[in-house]
Amino acid sequence: MVDAIPRWLRLATAAALVLIVAYLLVPLLVVVGVSFTAADYISFPPQGLSLRWYAKVLSSGDFTDAAMTSLVLAVAITVAASALGAGAAIVLHRRVLPGSAAIGGLFLAPLILPSIILALGLLMLWSRSFGATSLLTVFIGHLVLALPYVIRTTLAVLSTSDPFLAEAARTMGAGPWKTLWRVTLPQCLPGVAAGAFFAFNISFDEAVVSLFLRSPEITTLPIRIYTTLEYSPDPSIAAVSSLMIFLTVLLILLIDRAVGLQKVTE
Amino acid sequence: MTRYLQPLILIAPGLLIMCLAFVLPVGLMFSLGIVSEEGALNADQLTRFLSDPYYLKVGLRTLRLAFWIAAISALIGAPFAYVMARCGKRLRLVLIIAVTLPLMTSVVVRTFGWMVVLGRSGLVPDTLYALGLVRRNFSLMQTETAIVVGMVQVVLPFMVLSVLGVIQRLDPRLEEAARTMGCNFLQSLRRVVLPGAMPGILTGFLLCFSLSASYFITPTLLGGARLPTLAGSIYENATKTLDWPFAAAQSIILMCGLLLLFIPYSLAARSRHG
Repeated sequence: MVDAIPRWLRLATAAALVLIVAYLLVPLLVVVGVSFTAADYISFPPQGLSLRWYAKVLSSGDFTDAAMTSLVLAVAITVAASALGAGAAIVLHRRVLPGSAAIGGLFLAPLILPSIILALGLLMLWSRSFGATSLLTVFIGHLVLALPYVIRTTLAVLSTSDPFLAEAARTMGAGPWKTLWRVTLPQCLPGVAAGAFFAFNISFDEAVVSLFLRSPEITTLPIRIYTTLEYSPDPSIAAVSSLMIFLTVLLILLIDRAVGLQKVTE
Repeated sequence: MTRYLQPLILIAPGLLIMCLAFVLPVGLMFSLGIVSEEGALNADQLTRFLSDPYYLKVGLRTLRLAFWIAAISALIGAPFAYVMARCGKRLRLVLIIAVTLPLMTSVVVRTFGWMVVLGRSGLVPDTLYALGLVRRNFSLMQTETAIVVGMVQVVLPFMVLSVLGVIQRLDPRLEEAARTMGCNFLQSLRRVVLPGAMPGILTGFLLCFSLSASYFITPTLLGGARLPTLAGSIYENATKTLDWPFAAAQSIILMCGLLLLFIPYSLAARSRHG
């Protein structure tokens, strides 16, 4: 006869679980709460209900400009990271090139190296070679940070797909490019899609590289929020932040549709 | 040679970006920290850091905070991941969302949330005041506690995912076997699950430690200027005082500190596998 799990332990676990989930979600819920306040200052629980801060944000050029910059940047990163990442992952998966393991390690290195180090390096290199930093510098930095995610999700999908399909295509007379286009790419598409969502998310939320490369031209949404927090935030910051949270929720739903959340977290 | 043509074309753009925008800048930055303008080896910047009590204090605070943040994340995250791996499908989905939603939300936004919760007349100080534990106008902002509270929330998802990955590969039948052979539940956790999950907990600890030690946004906003950390100091020197050689030297010290931690771990992991 096996001992049952003691009742007190089940209760304690349930209580701890609720507390941890609350702890993880509290900052987000509070921000969303504050954004609906009717008061002139930041307060939680919100005082009264109103959408005035959303109206203010959407009509202020400051925030909409920053949102546009962030959006354009994130879309560019999504396209570039998916294209380069998918190509690299397909080659790495086939292990045809000499030194594949080392190349793979290089591609995944930005996941381990603190981004502050990449940010400082980019700032120094760019300033020495080209002078003032621009949105292009930030694009390059975000691309380096986003590539490993696309490569990882694509590799994960490829490792579970049928390796003989491409071979079959080749023996039946398809050239290498036709095989790539008709067989391999469709095979790894779910992985590329998941990676693309992550790439978008990383670029849209990234603040470290952007802050180091900061110049008047580079005011993305996270930078805008950071600088306001350093000085005197009012509830409009909560409204902007809430809009970013809603976008994240949407992204998670899309990822769940594309590959399934359960898979991504494995 | 035609065998290599397609792979080379596919991988070249990505590889080029990695070399020019990753290897080159990081290499240049490290070399600037130890080479003077004239090109001679020069450790002035490093000694400047290591001989100044102010910066030693900054380094020590960084280490202390990173250790506590990583340790607390391990204590909370490991049991959380175990429940996640063994619970039913619906609860699991809720827990996955609770982990991924914060993970994918900008750190700037989450830190703002903590500023509201921990600041004057925020939720936590108000509750403590209502319980009669603190005086009126008490604020947790600009304390190391605030940094730990904010940063654990930032790194906890990494710990959970890293432990979860390992536990999912543990055979649940091992636990059943232990329990049919007379272990009670807690014993089976300690004798079977904990040793099995240890690699994941260690990886998670190192990941959380290095993230905490190298992150400046949350510590700067929650800790303020009174409690500078190494990463915050690097940011100051890089963007405000524009002392790049010193910023580079501090980055070298940060990297060396992290490597000191990683090398014994990877050696131990290698000897265990082979």
